[in-house]
Amino acid sequence: MLTGIFILCFPLRVLGWDWQTRVTVVVKDQPMQAVCELLEKEYGIHFSYSRELVNLSRRVTVTAYHQRLRKVLEELFAPDDIRYTRVGEQIVLLPAKRNTHTISGYVQDAVSGERLIGATIYSPVLKQGTTSNQYGYFSLTTVKDTSSLIISYIGYSPLFQTVSCSGDKMITTSLQPLGSLKEVVISATEKSKLQDQTQMSKVNLAMSEVQSMPKLLGESDVMRTLQSLPGVSSGMDGAGGMHVRGGSPDQNLILMDGTPVFNFSHFFGVYSLLNADVVKTTDLYKGAFPARFGGRLSSIVDIATKDGDMKAYHGDVSIGLIAAKFNLEGPIVKDKTSFLVSARRSYPDLIFNAMLQSEKSLGNNGAFKAFFYDFNAKINHIFSPKDRLFLSFYKGEDNILLKQTSGDTTNVNDPTKLQAESSKFQLGWGNTVAALRWNHIYGPQLFSNVTLNYSQYAFSTEYAYKYTIPAYGERSDIYGKYYSRMENGGAKIDFDYRPAPHHGIRFGATATMHYFKPGMSFFEDKNSVVKPLDTADLAMRVTGMEMSLYVEDDWEVRPGLYANLGVHASGFLVEGRFYHSLQPRMGIRYMLPRNWAVKAAYTHMNQYIHLLSNNGTTLPTDIWVPSTQRVAPMFSTQLAIGVAKTSANMKFEFSLEGYFKSMHNMIENKSTDVVYQDVVRWDENVTIGKGWSYGGEVMIQKKKGNTTGWIGYTLAWSTRRFPDINNGEIFPYKYDHRHDIEVVLIQKLGKHWELSASWHYTTGSPITLPVASYHGIDNASPWDPGTNTGSIDRFDKRYNYRTADVHRLDAGITYSKQKKRYRKSWNLSVFNVYNQQNPFFYYMKKDVADQQRYLTKVTILPILPSITYSIKF
Amino acid sequence: MQNVFVYAALLVLFFCSCEKRVDIKLPYDGDKIVVNSLIQPDSVIYIRVTRSVPSNVYDDNGFTEITNAAVTLEENGVVLTPLQWQEIKGHGYFVSTQKAILGKQYTVRVAAAGMQPVMATDTLPAAPDVSMAAAQRNSSRVRFTLKDRPDAADFYRIRIFAYGPDGQPDTLRLFRLDPSFNNNMVDFFTSGSNSSLIMNDARFNGKEVNFVLQTQDPIANTTQLMVEVSTLTNDAYQYFKAVSAQERNGGTIITEPVRVFTNVSNGYGIVAGINTKRMTFKVE
Repeated sequence: MLTGIFILCFPLRVLGWDWQTRVTVVVKDQPMQAVCELLEKEYGIHFSYSRELVNLSRRVTVTAYHQRLRKVLEELFAPDDIRYTRVGEQIVLLPAKRNTHTISGYVQDAVSGERLIGATIYSPVLKQGTTSNQYGYFSLTTVKDTSSLIISYIGYSPLFQTVSCSGDKMITTSLQPLGSLKEVVISATEKSKLQDQTQMSKVNLAMSEVQSMPKLLGESDVMRTLQSLPGVSSGMDGAGGMHVRGGSPDQNLILMDGTPVFNFSHFFGVYSLLNADVVKTTDLYKGAFPARFGGRLSSIVDIATKDGDMKAYHGDVSIGLIAAKFNLEGPIVKDKTSFLVSARRSYPDLIFNAMLQSEKSLGNNGAFKAFFYDFNAKINHIFSPKDRLFLSFYKGEDNILLKQTSGDTTNVNDPTKLQAESSKFQLGWGNTVAALRWNHIYGPQLFSNVTLNYSQYAFSTEYAYKYTIPAYGERSDIYGKYYSRMENGGAKIDFDYRPAPHHGIRFGATATMHYFKPGMSFFEDKNSVVKPLDTADLAMRVTGMEMSLYVEDDWEVRPGLYANLGVHASGFLVEGRFYHSLQPRMGIRYMLPRNWAVKAAYTHMNQYIHLLSNNGTTLPTDIWVPSTQRVAPMFSTQLAIGVAKTSANMKFEFSLEGYFKSMHNMIENKSTDVVYQDVVRWDENVTIGKGWSYGGEVMIQKKKGNTTGWIGYTLAWSTRRFPDINNGEIFPYKYDHRHDIEVVLIQKLGKHWELSASWHYTTGSPITLPVASYHGIDNASPWDPGTNTGSIDRFDKRYNYRTADVHRLDAGITYSKQKKRYRKSWNLSVFNVYNQQNPFFYYMKKDVADQQRYLTKVTILPILPSITYSIKF
Repeated sequence: MQNVFVYAALLVLFFCSCEKRVDIKLPYDGDKIVVNSLIQPDSVIYIRVTRSVPSNVYDDNGFTEITNAAVTLEENGVVLTPLQWQEIKGHGYFVSTQKAILGKQYTVRVAAAGMQPVMATDTLPAAPDVSMAAAQRNSSRVRFTLKDRPDAADFYRIRIFAYGPDGQPDTLRLFRLDPSFNNNMVDFFTSGSNSSLIMNDARFNGKEVNFVLQTQDPIANTTQLMVEVSTLTNDAYQYFKAVSAQERNGGTIITEPVRVFTNVSNGYGIVAGINTKRMTFKVE
């Protein structure tokens, strides 16, 4: 190593000096201090500085022959921002005036103008970087005046951008998507490497991943894809909600563009409530919750929907086995205003209804409907480079209707028989969500988002039945209705503040009005003279106000050590009671050699509302209720620790995490009724208990190349303890699965074909089997009438048996071809390829013919092939 | 049209379920003494003592009786005269010689070889104040009046019997409380017709109520009906309510199975007070 000094020094010592004095300095690879010493020795120019404040250790090579002193010093000190000034006969050196400047702006798709979430903005010189937030906004504060940035996003060509100016700069960066420019899809998301994020226990799901997964009856689905991630389990055979790290489905906060949604599914939990084609990206937080989220214990599912293409019209139409759908997006005013509309409806009932009508099976005015639909609309308007407005609306419903009149005319002349019999049964439930969001950039370092949102979940059922028996004057004309409605109206303000290179601060406030109106019931028998036993209104109408404040700082403590420190303070005012909590959220990251990051997080979460459901089985009838005097708000603490790394070529991601979570004030139904009859005093029918979950998750994901996918493994325990259940002893959670393996593989085969497969294996679920049978009793005396006693099953410990392991392979193949004006694709998917008979539920069968009783499992989802055809333009 | 059938076939495939026997050894908590006795005031006490079996045992004709069990009956802590073994309609009972008296507490203790001795105790409820039972032929309504006691939590069981050709009330009729009794739709949906109605007096405490029961089928082919109203102690109420819920559940293990209440310590069954009043009337 050449460390020697090579000095050519001309004896030009002068008496006195000024800034124009010409000097000659030639040094090679020496500290700046050596240059100062040389000038002092040769020209009598004295330097005065504090070694603690001014660092002259940087090695430099200077070759200046007969140059003006000012120019030499300028070139010497400028890179370190060292200021120099003449005081008498000496030059005083001052530390750098921290002339930071901030580069901020948006990252967007060059073709559609769609904002890109999680794009990386990186300065290779400074080795500093940041990522764009959920609105595609970033802010990077650097100490240099000139900086070149690399802006990258998987699926897009990286962009090298030189930002050369002396002040703060706002830029909008457009990235060109790779591959076909005509196909406007965000082919994958993300992001900075795992080891560069302090956030842990988070999985980002790109739209392309959701769409590449094998389909169930022709539908790709966000929830089903989330269920194939480690740490997330589904209910029986894929239906029935999401259980994250041993938490129940009511502990998931589902956000659609920042607005909470009450019921996330269609078709009794089989499909997600929204069409996967409108989803831009989905983030799942299983733990290490950032301070900006709150209100649920176990997970956050943050779904961002597409904003709409700012430059050209695009759309797609597709039809699968169960639903047909379309999406359309485009500019209203080019580069200023865009729209997106999307709608989906299941259609098999239309075919059935037509068949029933043609056969007059339901009588003259009969009808049958059983369908779900959803509708999304969004408008996105850019007022100025600093202001953007989003208006979004969603409505989705599931409906069942059966209307029939008796077509039997054989008794029409017999007044002693039923006449004019007709009935109508209707059942429906769904969400309505609306949000208005305003992004505003106050300055290069401060970004804000203001949201006004509304979310409603309603369930209703109606029943009407009529008949007469003219001969006996008997008539029945009954009509009943039951409905529940839960509403949220809220305002939220979030700030994203980047004051310095080592801090990324977010803070904000939320106020949400909850309006609970569950269990409204009405019933009348128009022809009855019976005086009702009671007409007391059993319904509940409660208004609650939830407020929260949060602040979090993503902080580089020192090179190699990072922290995300935050606090979420919230309060809930209901019926004169005020609950409050202060929830610390902490995460740290420490860099190990070879770019491995070790991460740890501790979070505290609070939940003020409870879901009255039947033992973890989510049903549309489930009711949300606020905490009461007897049932306090739920809270949980979670500790997670893990290591993570993304390979240097960004192809592989690896993460290994362990967690421990405790949950408090959870409720469980004491009675066996599926529907809560008395919603006003619901808290008397529940028992309050605790739960613990712990385990480990490992995930290896391949993000790039023709073969992508992941392998995930979960080892988990989840238990509960309620004083009134299982004699107060600890028992496993209903969806406690010890081992869970997920393998997802997506293989591109040439230009047109894509193959996908997912295999899922999970160990058995706990169920409760009877431990004995015995004789019952009906009467005091054997001589009394009505003695018809059967046997009674004795159930003792809860969950005393585990069902057989469950596994299933789903596969799909897609052929797509770019035509002149559109792109068409065929997808063939097979659900449960090897027709594994996985249980949906079990029961004790009484086989009268064989005089036997035995355990029977019921399977509902055999091998299910499906075809989807779609056109994108 | 061909497409319709393809879709229909696929949908049927989707909705059709398939059942398969699971051959496992069901858990068994070992043989336990089962004591069953509903004690009616002014009547002798019948105590049935059987043995529990594993739940895969199919036995609708009665369970193995422990004929040599040592059974003692106490009235307010005083042991009554030894019980007598009687076989009635194919089942064996330990029968008291004295009649039960309202206001007394009864305790049954049973011991048998190879099993833990068991004990159960309860009191007797007051008789129900019911009257004016009536029904119209070919109608599906049966009426009666019940006067509930104020200041007391009362529990009831109601059953309807039709008289058969041999003049015996031998047929249990399926019925439910007339849906117009309250304005709650959930009640209407959740209360299907049943052979008995188990209820508490939370909705009519202390009132005189004209009950209207709706039979599943119109009342025909019978000239005489019997409405049986029993008051129950809390233990008996808990037992009957759970038994009926377990029957409704049908052994399905989607929801949590229903645990049937027992007040027999170290064993199974129920020893509880009941006070039954029967109203027999001609169908008009």
